[in-house]
Amino acid sequence: GQSPPPALYDQSPPPPALYGLGLLLAPSVGLGEAPTPPASCRSVGAQRWPPRCSAPAGLLQQAGARGLHFFNFRAGSPSALRVLAAVQEGRARINPKKGCRVDLAFTTELYNPEEGKERLGKCSAQVFFRKQKPRPAINVTCTQFIEKEKRQEKDFLLYKQMKQLKTPLDVISIPDSHGYIDPSLRPIWDLAFLGSSYVMWEKTTQILYYYMVQLRSVKQWKTQEDAIDFDYTVLLHEFPTQEIVPCDIHLVWYPGKPLKVKYHCQELQTPEEASGTGEGSAAAPTDFKNF
Amino acid sequence: YNYNKYHPIEEIYQWMSQISEKYKDVVTQHFLGMTYETRPMNYLKISQPSNNPKKIIWMDCGIHAREWIAPAFCQWFVKEILQNYTDNSRIRTLLSHLDFYILPVLNVDGYIYTWTTNRLWRKSRSSHNNGTCFGTDLNRNFNVSWCSIGASKDCQDITFCGTGPVSEPETKAVTSFIESEKENILCFFTMHSYGQLILAPYGYTKNKSSNHEELIEVGEKAANALKAKHGMTYRVGSSADILYSTSGSSRDWARDIGIPFSYTFELRDTGTHGFILPEDQIQPTCEETMEAVLSVLDDVYNKYW
Repeated sequence: GQSPPPALYDQSPPPPALYGLGLLLAPSVGLGEAPTPPASCRSVGAQRWPPRCSAPAGLLQQAGARGLHFFNFRAGSPSALRVLAAVQEGRARINPKKGCRVDLAFTTELYNPEEGKERLGKCSAQVFFRKQKPRPAINVTCTQFIEKEKRQEKDFLLYKQMKQLKTPLDVISIPDSHGYIDPSLRPIWDLAFLGSSYVMWEKTTQILYYYMVQLRSVKQWKTQEDAIDFDYTVLLHEFPTQEIVPCDIHLVWYPGKPLKVKYHCQELQTPEEASGTGEGSAAAPTDFKNF
Repeated sequence: YNYNKYHPIEEIYQWMSQISEKYKDVVTQHFLGMTYETRPMNYLKISQPSNNPKKIIWMDCGIHAREWIAPAFCQWFVKEILQNYTDNSRIRTLLSHLDFYILPVLNVDGYIYTWTTNRLWRKSRSSHNNGTCFGTDLNRNFNVSWCSIGASKDCQDITFCGTGPVSEPETKAVTSFIESEKENILCFFTMHSYGQLILAPYGYTKNKSSNHEELIEVGEKAANALKAKHGMTYRVGSSADILYSTSGSSRDWARDIGIPFSYTFELRDTGTHGFILPEDQIQPTCEETMEAVLSVLDDVYNKYW
């Protein structure tokens, strides 16, 4: 095999008292400025994993995206999903022993924009990555940009649409290869995105982040309480490894009630990482101790 | 021909024949090499007949099979140049000194595989380990700091760098041609998705190329031209700075053999649809990317002439 290449990032021991070091990162819009990479990053050369460090620019965008995964899951509203519009300001604090904390303010758009209406929500978030560990601790607050009644109304509409769909669904994948989602199947996609948000939040680390690419093998059952009981396989695109990670997700949803999610992701690569299985409910308090 | 849809390889080959026939005064089709599964890699040369010697602009699309918007852009680009060169002075001026070499699908085997079997396949379809393991990441296979970082020696991995630098026939086909013409090539554009990025060298090191500042300036101007079209933000920077470290990429290799303007374009979007970009976004993506590429070409033209 090859001898380890020279490290891309500085491998000298970090200076003391890095905790509290603030890096003011301007949101990079079309500019190629390069903030200093986290001092805890090391290049690993030609091993099975691509480098363990993603480049730090885009760190704010990624922190915002993860904040929204958590926000969307906790809100439990598939018709009011938010996506990142733009980062307005942010900073990262790196402690080589503890991890990385990002504070940021950003704007959001609706995942399902209404025609002609552009709404911009505002959020602020603190995202704390424990060193190399998944499931960052997230504090996120957003301004309300859909009235509560309107949101509940839309959720109930989506719920009714889901209930009317015949199971088993004769659908292999959503979207199809050409990116098309039939409007009647859109509620499925939105609900799946809601459940996947939980999984993506739980799996993400300082380095690894995810996008939902496609749904496969969608199934639905009814429960006694008439909740939507929804079982599906989702393909997640993992950065920076470029891998496609299949996850089986089972969620239970009723409008206005906390979302319940159980999942198992196929870990294709390193056997020493715990296989991604988890369950959660938006009703359970999230563990914030030590953050 | 519907440029607002994704086309399987047979239709793309057919389109290439038809368009070179239709515009035979300026277009010729050429054979670059064979893929692993012995399919032809064909490119189009667009050249306005002239007495003066020309410099070359190279563009390849679809080195990663699942990035369908890239081949769609290559086809769009060819169409735009050919439909407008007679009455568009900007394009006519560029063609007076520049020849365009466009490879609409570099990774033909992989592209076919995304149509027949696995929409999210990325690599080529070379066979390894007695047929137990398939595909090389062609954009890790070039001979530039090969497999040093951001790539894997394990053929099961999605960033498998191959059995050696330029081990793959597809890589050989591209490098042979580029090497043979490198004195005359001014621009090397390699089109990917997704991420909305304009990436300059390098991925294999954080060091900057000798013309880094110029590349960034030209890139930012291109990003502004792109944004003016439909409001999309593209970030500009060296690959190692704004994306992640990689070795063996075609862009880095092209820069290091002396091609001055070498860029990777990562087209729409930023994760909402990712690789499976809906067809209704083909047109706006291609329109804005066209503006970006023309902006770079204008700067290059003005620099040399």
